[in-house]
Order: sequence, then structure tokens, then C-alpha cells
Amino acid sequence: PLPWPRSFLLKSLEQVRKIQTRNSELLEQLCATYKLCHPEELVLLGHSLGIPQAPLSRCSIQALQLTKCLSQLHSGLFLYQGLLQALTGISPELAPTVDMLQLDVANFATTIWQQMESLGVAPTVQPTQSTLPTFTSAFQRRAGGVLAASHLQSFLETAHCTLNHLV
Amino acid sequence: ESCGHIRISVPVVRLGDPVIASCTISPNCSKLDQESQILWRLQDGPNQPGDRQRRLPDGSQESTITLPHVNHTKAFLSCLVPWANSFQVLDQAELQAGYPPASPSNLSCLMYLTTNSLVCQWEPGPETYLPTNFTLKSFRSRDDCQYQKDSILDCVPEDGQNTCSIARKHLILYQNMVIWVQAKNMLGTSESPKLCLDPMDVVKLEPPVLQAVDISPDLIPYQPGCLWLSWKPWKPGEYIEQECELRYRPQLRRANWTLVSHLPSSEDQFKLCGLHQAPVYTLQIRCIRSPLPGLWSSWSPGLHLRPT
Repeated sequence: PLPWPRSFLLKSLEQVRKIQTRNSELLEQLCATYKLCHPEELVLLGHSLGIPQAPLSRCSIQALQLTKCLSQLHSGLFLYQGLLQALTGISPELAPTVDMLQLDVANFATTIWQQMESLGVAPTVQPTQSTLPTFTSAFQRRAGGVLAASHLQSFLETAHCTLNHLV
Repeated sequence: ESCGHIRISVPVVRLGDPVIASCTISPNCSKLDQESQILWRLQDGPNQPGDRQRRLPDGSQESTITLPHVNHTKAFLSCLVPWANSFQVLDQAELQAGYPPASPSNLSCLMYLTTNSLVCQWEPGPETYLPTNFTLKSFRSRDDCQYQKDSILDCVPEDGQNTCSIARKHLILYQNMVIWVQAKNMLGTSESPKLCLDPMDVVKLEPPVLQAVDISPDLIPYQPGCLWLSWKPWKPGEYIEQECELRYRPQLRRANWTLVSHLPSSEDQFKLCGLHQAPVYTLQIRCIRSPLPGLWSSWSPGLHLRPT
């Protein structure tokens, strides 16, 4: 498969860092405001709520498959864009951070999608959002936010590693 | 029902162009002598007869006048008739004259990370003397901006402003977009040249904060004419890979700057030596996004330090 152009890699790395910075802010705000500071304490709840975690197996350095990695990156970003959508209305204080984060994730998904189009590996139809968790209480929505943000953080770390490897 | 009515060929004309107006007195206007001569007055000028006055088949009287060169940007044209030993104004029309808008020029945009908005500004061009609306238009595109994807909401500046701010939610960062300014008034429309840009390539970076570092002599042997500096990238832009340059000069009359280029955007201990020309030196730093395209930040405020 065609290598990824350097400008794409550099832009993607910058977008990953931008999202990581914003995502850390969200996690810090969730911790400060609701004392939900340890995602690992919410694993059980995460299973019952069905908070998905986007795979990046094809992007791991050891088993890197460029085309499939791009596709996983896009699907993952698309999933987290949806998850962040489910957090709307979490609280007025957090709303600006969630909104900006959503835009940054959506823009990064566009960058990936466009690269897939340039390489001729983009599916003909844009993906549709799978069913997202529904939150029946404010606590569930906040906990869902913590889980989604922490999953997104590890997703981004893997993406950063791969992109750095390719630059 | 008023006795007289003015009609104008065009209510808004180019300055210096002619205007033709007609004033018609209805036959049912019983209070007036139907044979009165219809007169015209532009602004507070003299009353003057029209070029031609005639009776229409329906019995009304019509006077026509041509103003060869309208050189008022705004003027009132009145239609009068003599009345007792004065005059009666039967109707009044407002004339406007000016110019079609020239193409707005020098369009430039900056992306502000603090407000997350793309702010564009332009020069409106010469005075048109007419109400002229400017609109910042844009659409999303790709790579070299050769084709249009979805349009972005028009950005309408506040009155009289030649700047407009496109909100973050209307932007797709890291994608090219085409931006231009449209100017429109009653006499025409014009457009600025189009810009093709990715908002992230025109980020307005702020310089780092430059600080002196106190190095204890136990750690590093004393060296005359040296300074230790540190700096950190501006926080809203810390995720952007940057390259910086430092400039310094002795506090002497007509001293020149010395430049140190290709510095990292974050530095905990930077040693600068060879500073023997004066007791105090002024130092500044600025940064630019690199290797991706970007704009230089402004220079940081001057830091005045005494070398060792």
C-alpha cells in the first residue's frame, strides 16, 4: 500500500496532540467537578452501559496494515464523535469543552477520510453511527463521559505512536 | 389623494450621470389652476421649469426634466406649482448618487486559538457614497481549492466593520477552504480575489514567555558574559510543533540585533555567551509553526538581563 504523505502525518500528529490536550481538559474537569477521577473504577458500569472501545489493532507497530489502520482510525474517531454527542447536556460548565472536542474529533475524522479517498481506499458510503449508549441518569452520563474520554485517550496514544513511527 | 406625483428614471445613479424625472398633476386636483406651470427645485436650489410640459390624454399635466449630471450624493428633488404669491410643493423624491463598489482588497485571515475563530479583514476600496454591504463568503474545498464542497454560512460584519469572524463550528480544521469578500450596493456587486487556506496554516501564535534562569555556581562553573534562559510555548498552541528564534542586543545606542535561529519551542536551560559589550542586554523570542506551514508570532516583550 502507498505510504502516507508526510504532510498528512504531520497534520495528523498535530490533530492528535490537539485532541489529547482538549480530552485531558475534559477528564480533569470531570474529576474536579464530579470526583470521577479513576476510569478503572467505572469498568463494571461501562459494561452495563455498553460503552464501546474502538479497536486499533491494525495500527499497532508490530502488526501495522496501513489501509486497515486508516479505516480503524476513521471508524474509531467516528465512534467517539458519536459518544461525545451522547454527552451533550452533561453540564453547562463542561459543554464548551465537549463541543470543541467533538469538533476536533470530527475534523480529524475528515482528515483521515480524505486521505483514504486520496489513496482510493475509502468506502463508497460514509459510515453510519452505530447505536450509542443511552444514559438514564446524570451520574450515568458523567460516568459515560469519563469512560468515553479515557477510551479516547488510549485510542489517541496508539494513533500517536503509529503516526510517529511513520513520520 | 395628493395632487402631484414624481417619477424618477432611476432612484440611484452614478455620480455625474443624468437623471430624468417627471411630475404629473392629476386633473381632479380642484384646488390648482390646471394651466399652472410645473416647477422643479433640486435641494435648496432655484425653482426652474421642466424641459417640457404637456397635457396627457387623461387631462393631467406632466412636466419632464433631465438633470444632466447628478453631483449630489443625496438630494431631494421637489415638484412645485405657483400658489398665491408663493409656491406649493406637490411631491418630493430622494435622489442618491455614488459609485458601484470596487473589489475589496488585501483580504487576510488569522485563526485565533483563544476564541477558536477565524478572523478575516480586508480593505473596502474607495468611498461609494452609497450604503454598501460587505459579506465574507466561503466554502469548504480540498487540496488545491479547485472545487467546491459545502458552502459555509455567510459572515456578515458589524456595521462599518471590515472584519468578520467565522466561528469554530463552521470550520473544518486541517482542510482547505476558499474565502472571499463580496461588496454590494444599488449600483453593483464586486468580489475580492479568493483565498485558499487551511485555518491551521494561519494560526495566530503568541510568543513564549522568556525567562532568566538562575544557575547556581556549584552546579556550573562561573563564566563571564553568559546568560541562562528558559522558555515554554504559549499554552493554547502547545500542541503545535514550532521552531523559534531568539534575538538579543546590548543596551547601547544604535546596537544591532543578533539572531539565533532554529531553536526548539520549549527550553529549560539555554546558555548564551559572548555578551561583553554592555552591562545589560535586551532579549526577545518568537516562534513559528514548523515543519507545517504557519505564521511567525510577534516578538516577545523585551527581557533586560545582566550577563554574568
